[in-house]
Amino acid sequence: MLSQFVIGAAGGLYIGDLLFYAISFIILVALVKHFAWGPITKMMDKRANKISGDLDYAEKSRNEAEQLAAKRQSELDKSQSEATKIVSTARQNGEKQRQTIVTQAQSDADNLKDKAQKDIAQERADALKGAQKDISALSIEIASKIIQKELNAADQKALIDSYIEGLGKQNGAR
Amino acid sequence: MNEESFVVKFLGLTFNLTNVVSGLVAMIIVFFLVWYLSRNLALRPKGKQNVLEAIIDFTNGIVSSNIPGEQGKRFNLLAFVLFLFIFVSNQLGLMIEFIIGGKTLIKSPTSDVMVTMSLALMVLLLSHYFGVVVFGAKGYLVNSYLKPVSFMLPIELIEEFTNFLTLAFRLYGNIFAGEVLLTLIGGVAKSHGLLTEVVALPLALIWQGFSVFIGSIQAYVFVTLSMVYISRKVEVEE
Repeated sequence: MLSQFVIGAAGGLYIGDLLFYAISFIILVALVKHFAWGPITKMMDKRANKISGDLDYAEKSRNEAEQLAAKRQSELDKSQSEATKIVSTARQNGEKQRQTIVTQAQSDADNLKDKAQKDIAQERADALKGAQKDISALSIEIASKIIQKELNAADQKALIDSYIEGLGKQNGAR
Repeated sequence: MNEESFVVKFLGLTFNLTNVVSGLVAMIIVFFLVWYLSRNLALRPKGKQNVLEAIIDFTNGIVSSNIPGEQGKRFNLLAFVLFLFIFVSNQLGLMIEFIIGGKTLIKSPTSDVMVTMSLALMVLLLSHYFGVVVFGAKGYLVNSYLKPVSFMLPIELIEEFTNFLTLAFRLYGNIFAGEVLLTLIGGVAKSHGLLTEVVALPLALIWQGFSVFIGSIQAYVFVTLSMVYISRKVEVEE
């Protein structure tokens, strides 16, 4: 048993073993590399790549989402201000329109009133003129009936005309 | 544990058939283990693929803690196979003890000093080889032996041999002692019939469990030290 501790003792140093182990170990390494190590390290690398790729992708997607959110927010703000602007413009327009309509109505009403006044004055004048004629004719008729014999028609008419003239003057001065 | 073993001479070289057969068995076990574990690989690992990836992460961790960066990646495979081989070898003798005509055929290969010396020699030769690959012949000599201070040269040279011997003997001693004690407990069990068997059974159980633990630790230690020695050759000394 102790002979194993003495290196170089007869039969103790098995150089053959050394060679056998060296060669077979190399073969074992080659076999393991070909059948197990290669595929599994490839798979592990692939997984590592996939994970890092997925992480990159997630990062990118997050950035994109944030950008979109910011864009949406700014657009929302913009549309809000736009809406306010539209509303205020509409209000201004409405105000203006109201103003013009009111003004128009005012002027129309004034016009109508003027016209109506003019018409009324005209009508009154016409009526007066008609009445003057009628009254003079009527008066002549009445007067001629009352004082048929004493006055001739021409003197009578001149007298009444002068009277009506005075009446008309009185009326016009009033 | 039986010290008798088959020895054959072939092409002028001496072969210890026990070591050859045990080593071959261990290697076959390792190969079929990883072959089985690496079937049906998927991007989303499950079941046995997780086991294999856990082992790979473990050995990659050993490598990267000693040889950081891209430099260490080329040693990942070596560390993986070395760890599995030594681990299986350490446990092999606990599971199987195959004896024909008083001569052992299968035991733990690592309980033979020749095997551990072969492994240690392989690792240290690799460390020197990669030292030359990384720094060139001159740079390798300067980096390995004349830095940080040149008067340490004799100690550095002696260290090369002590590294080799301690690496080999640490593994060998642990596993050999474990098997010797198991054999002794076995001897006690058989010595006085039923009584000693009852006494020896729990002892054997405890020692078996402890040997599994030692075997795992020693596989880890061997790989770690291998990577330390390699890193001292391929990393710049300050």
